[in-house]
Amino acid sequence: MLSKLAWRNIFRQKRRTVLTLMTMTGGFVLSSLSIGWMNGSYSNIILFFTNSRTGQIQVHHEGYLADPSIYSTIDNFEQVGSILDSIPDVRSWAPRIYTGALLALKPAGHTSNVYSSSAAASVIGIDPAREQEATGFSDQIIEGEMLTSSDADTSLSSTGQILLGKELAITLEASPGDSLILLSQAANGVVADKRYVVVGIVSTGNTQIDRRTSYITLPDAQNLFALEGKAHEIAVLSSTLNEVDNLTAAISGRLSGRNLETDSWKVFAKEFYNGMKADESSLEVMIFIIVLVAAMGVLNTVLMMVLERRREFGVMKAMGTRPGFIVRMIMLEANIMGFISILLGSIISTAGLLLLSKHGIVMDPPLDYGGAVFREMVASISPDCYWIPAICVMLTATIVSCIPALNAAHTKPAKALRTV
Amino acid sequence: MNNEKIIEAKGIIKTYDDSGVPVQAVRGIDYTLTKGEFTAIIGPSGSGKTTFLNVITGLDTPTEGEVWLSGRLLSKMSGNELSDFRRDHIGFIFQAYNLFPVLTVEENVEYIMLLQGVPKEERHNRVMSMLEKVGLADYAQRLPSRLSGGQQQRVAVARAMVSKPSLVIADEPTANLDSKTSGALLDMMRQLNEDTGMTFLFSTHDEIVMRRAKKLVVLTDGKLDGNSPPEEYE
Ligand SMILES: Nc1ncnc2c1ncn2[C@@H]1O[C@H](COP(=O)(O)OP(=O)(O)OP(=O)(O)O)[C@@H](O)[C@H]1O
Ligand SMILES: [Mg+2]
Repeated sequence: MLSKLAWRNIFRQKRRTVLTLMTMTGGFVLSSLSIGWMNGSYSNIILFFTNSRTGQIQVHHEGYLADPSIYSTIDNFEQVGSILDSIPDVRSWAPRIYTGALLALKPAGHTSNVYSSSAAASVIGIDPAREQEATGFSDQIIEGEMLTSSDADTSLSSTGQILLGKELAITLEASPGDSLILLSQAANGVVADKRYVVVGIVSTGNTQIDRRTSYITLPDAQNLFALEGKAHEIAVLSSTLNEVDNLTAAISGRLSGRNLETDSWKVFAKEFYNGMKADESSLEVMIFIIVLVAAMGVLNTVLMMVLERRREFGVMKAMGTRPGFIVRMIMLEANIMGFISILLGSIISTAGLLLLSKHGIVMDPPLDYGGAVFREMVASISPDCYWIPAICVMLTATIVSCIPALNAAHTKPAKALRTV
Repeated sequence: MNNEKIIEAKGIIKTYDDSGVPVQAVRGIDYTLTKGEFTAIIGPSGSGKTTFLNVITGLDTPTEGEVWLSGRLLSKMSGNELSDFRRDHIGFIFQAYNLFPVLTVEENVEYIMLLQGVPKEERHNRVMSMLEKVGLADYAQRLPSRLSGGQQQRVAVARAMVSKPSLVIADEPTANLDSKTSGALLDMMRQLNEDTGMTFLFSTHDEIVMRRAKKLVVLTDGKLDGNSPPEEYE
């Protein structure tokens, strides 16, 4: 009875119903697409950031993140690596050593001990093959070439290979082919110094990093800094971004008892993560505005409907219909329209999201996110794209219809009957 | 005829004040309606007939005075109690038919019984026999918009009476009907009144109605002029 009345009333004023449905559906589709697009952009940025640099998960010696010291090492990193290899969701991993040193340039051709310039730099020891597999490191080399991943002589008397960050190279006035001396202190307290030849220049896109970073091979670093078999960090690449938290827990479980800590990018790249969070709240504001605009439209039509049918509500009441019945009828009408809008909206949104996920929106000018540049943003389809707008539509329909419904139900029949 | 009081109104005053200018539509009426009456309230346009009917059936609240419906004080009844009372005891027929446009003839007539929770089969039987009585059995599946005014009013009569209320209130039921239809409609209601003892209270300025009423009540300028049998009035 109630639903029969509600259902037929919906199809009474076709134009208004279509208008209401369009408003609700429009609100659904807009919020759905925004969510899909934002989520897609986020995961793109996060993936780019973590894939090209940090990995999604990192393993360190306990306390290393809070206080990075040369002595806080992952001992026997190869063993840790083979444990990681046995975990299915681990796509790849890369060990790293982080130290600092003074680099002094000896221009090509000069044989005497004359140093033209020097700079303090952090020195990262990387495994060229693993780093390449994990982060596609060589993509960042803008001049020269990648470190050779050979078991070449790492002895202190031989000449090693070094990569310089772009701005660091400018500071040192160094270019590929130049030799330099690296001066530092090894973990055992002995002075570490070795001659290097610059093989390439690296640009990560982040000048802060490129101003102070140089790269040598991991075996070289282990030998030079007396850290044989050790590493400071293992960056882990996960096969899916959504599973990072679970994978972090899984790795942490497998590595327990080794004084190691396993963190996801949300922890070790806290600032970056918080930036993402902030953007998420701007998405919420945007959806709130969309919902508000749609709600105004729906409120308008519900009010018009209630006014037009005032007389009829008067008749219903005169005939002994309880006020609650009228309230339920009007709210049901709004909710049925909400439900239809969700169905329509889902179809349209799916089409839109599929399109946006294939052909993203070209960003002009490109979006610069902490040095990571994005030219095209694509959408990603997730349950969020449906259930959040759906809840918004149903809530809106309910809230917006309840006041006119109460009003209609409680007008005196005599007054309502007098309206033409 | 027994003397059971269906409606008892005392000192009813109704003042409209919607527009800022107070209009006193009913100016102190004492009135009693007893079971089995077939009464017409007559009076010129604007004399307060509609207002009076609205107040004594709880469709509107009086500014002053008390209304008892079957011995219950109206102002003490809650919204739901009042709804249920009207649903179970009063049938309304309006001047402008006021059928539900989205419901078919059958569904319109069925409406009150649906609210009452009458079983489906009984509902159907009662609707059909009622439509039979008003001569619209063949129109059960039509929408009101596809009926003539007279047919719509007959549906409204069927709707008001199908649930066997003890009282039928009709505010100018014939205002939009031709004299032939009006006469037939009134004859039918009078028949029901005789057969079942159902009480009828009309407002009208239609002679056809007045002539068939058992009793006339004259309302002028918001006041009752007294009761009289139709013969005396004529
Ligand atoms: N809502 C209102 N606000 C102000 N005045 C009103 C209102 N409703 C009715 N009136 C006035 O109250 C008086 C009585 O009106 P009412 O409708 O009861 O008369 P009536 O006898 O039913 O008239 P009719 O025969 O034309 O239907 C009239 O003067 C009318 O103008
Ligand atoms: Mg009137």
